[in-house]
Amino acid sequence: MINFNRVWAMVYRYTLNLLHTYDRLTDMFYWPFLDLVLWGLTGLYFIQSSNNPHTLTIMITGLVFWIVIWRAQYEITVNLLWEIWDKNLVNIFVSPLTIWEWIIALIICGFTRLIVSISFSALAAFILYKYNILIYGFYLIPIILSLALTGWAVGFFVGGWLIKHGQKIQTLAWTGVAALAPFTVPYFPLTILPDWAKTIAYFVPPSYIFEGMRNLLQTGSFPIDKLIISFFLNVIYLILGILFFVFMFNRSRKLGLGRLI
Amino acid sequence: MNKVLEVKNLTKKFGNFIAVNNISFSLVEGEVLGVLGPNGAGKTTTIQMLLGVMDPNLGKISYFGKDFYKNKVEILKNINFASTYISLPGNFTVYEILNLFASLYEITNKDFRIKKLLSEFQLEHLIKRRYHDLSAGEKTRLVLTKAFLNYPKIILLDEPTASLDPEIAVVVRKFLKIQKEEYNVSILLTSHNMSEVEELCGRVLILNHGKIIEQGAPEILVKNMTDCQLELTVIDDNKKATIFLDKNKIPYQVNRYTFTIWLDEKNIAQFLITLTDEKITYQEISINKPNLEDYFLQKIGEKNDKF
Repeated sequence: MINFNRVWAMVYRYTLNLLHTYDRLTDMFYWPFLDLVLWGLTGLYFIQSSNNPHTLTIMITGLVFWIVIWRAQYEITVNLLWEIWDKNLVNIFVSPLTIWEWIIALIICGFTRLIVSISFSALAAFILYKYNILIYGFYLIPIILSLALTGWAVGFFVGGWLIKHGQKIQTLAWTGVAALAPFTVPYFPLTILPDWAKTIAYFVPPSYIFEGMRNLLQTGSFPIDKLIISFFLNVIYLILGILFFVFMFNRSRKLGLGRLI
Repeated sequence: MNKVLEVKNLTKKFGNFIAVNNISFSLVEGEVLGVLGPNGAGKTTTIQMLLGVMDPNLGKISYFGKDFYKNKVEILKNINFASTYISLPGNFTVYEILNLFASLYEITNKDFRIKKLLSEFQLEHLIKRRYHDLSAGEKTRLVLTKAFLNYPKIILLDEPTASLDPEIAVVVRKFLKIQKEEYNVSILLTSHNMSEVEELCGRVLILNHGKIIEQGAPEILVKNMTDCQLELTVIDDNKKATIFLDKNKIPYQVNRYTFTIWLDEKNIAQFLITLTDEKITYQEISINKPNLEDYFLQKIGEKNDKF
């Protein structure tokens, strides 16, 4: 049974850690802002030679939505790594904290940071380019939720490897999700992908969201079927991701969690 | 005697290497049990299994008569752990760390408990200091403070006083004695400090190559050792004494005029008479009775000879 006092204790732990660690704040604000400036200016340049009036919107939306996936994954893997860096993993698992309570705490932390990051990015995009994320209306909620699910699923897959192999492969915490990026088609339509990549993209949930987003900009409606497929795949991947994480945690415990520090 | 921890046939293998080999022991309420052994003997592996952060290949662990793996959450609420080799969140203050763990253990009246323990471990003036700004000794005391937050019935300590100043180590030992005597806390501790083990532990286990090679009360184990260490400094030259010791096959070491000789306690008087008869004169003499360290070294030496 889940004990929410212990879940909140871990949320407190990661929130405090964020506030005490300035480079985490950099990750939250600096990189999204820099990306917005860079890609926004690139979009402004492309718009001069493009017939598509939505070029800038597509690029900024692609970027802001990609931040959702990235932040969701990043918060899970980096919070996990902090326990290893702080040599604190054994301390928390000799307490009554269960793996499921830890997972819930990681998701809650990931979600709150994601909301902060996306709010900041949306505000920055509005100030810099008069881009309003609210053009997606009520679709925004399921879109963000679906993208967050992808981030969490990847986060738990990567987290599974990290909990087994520790700091040796810690670079995956930052780069793991990037491998998916080309197949999520954030800035370009699915049709331009080669066939093999297209096949992969069909199994990558955000590709449906980004395709739907472009559809909405051109036709004014978001294809519900794409949203449903995206959710369906995400739920399956998230369940598999969490099960994989728990499986790898148990395998790691066979060897002893103490070796990770 | 009420057994609070019972370990049966505990075994841990890593590939072909057997780190812990079929060990069984128990801990009774209010007992302080010392686990001794050289590096690589299996002490830390055993403690990790007792804490549930490493799964054994074989064997059973029961706390308070209940299977550990089936009642893990309930049991972990009542035990705790401290080690010199484990750290705490570096960028947290002392208070934040203790508040975090007090919340994980769902301690009621957290602030009262935190302040009381900080005062016991003489850390109250550091409450706002960050962990990574503490000295090694202060970190060790904070880890111990964390370990006592949940009023544990059993506490597992891995070298609790390593890196502490002697005077602070005394404070910690005193605290541990109070926990045992007044609150009936059972303690399992590993230490390389034999005098500490002799002072605190009612019983010790000696581990070597993953096996328990000896166990018992320290004073009884030491009593089994009959050899005393005799140090004497001879006058003039050491030749006569060397010939005499070699002839009688008495083990010794010599450093210039000072001999270190190992003798059965009951033979010492006769030995000194014989020295006088042999006209071997000496000016200084000291007799050291064996202690736990001598016993430990002897046992480990014996076993290692066999491996």
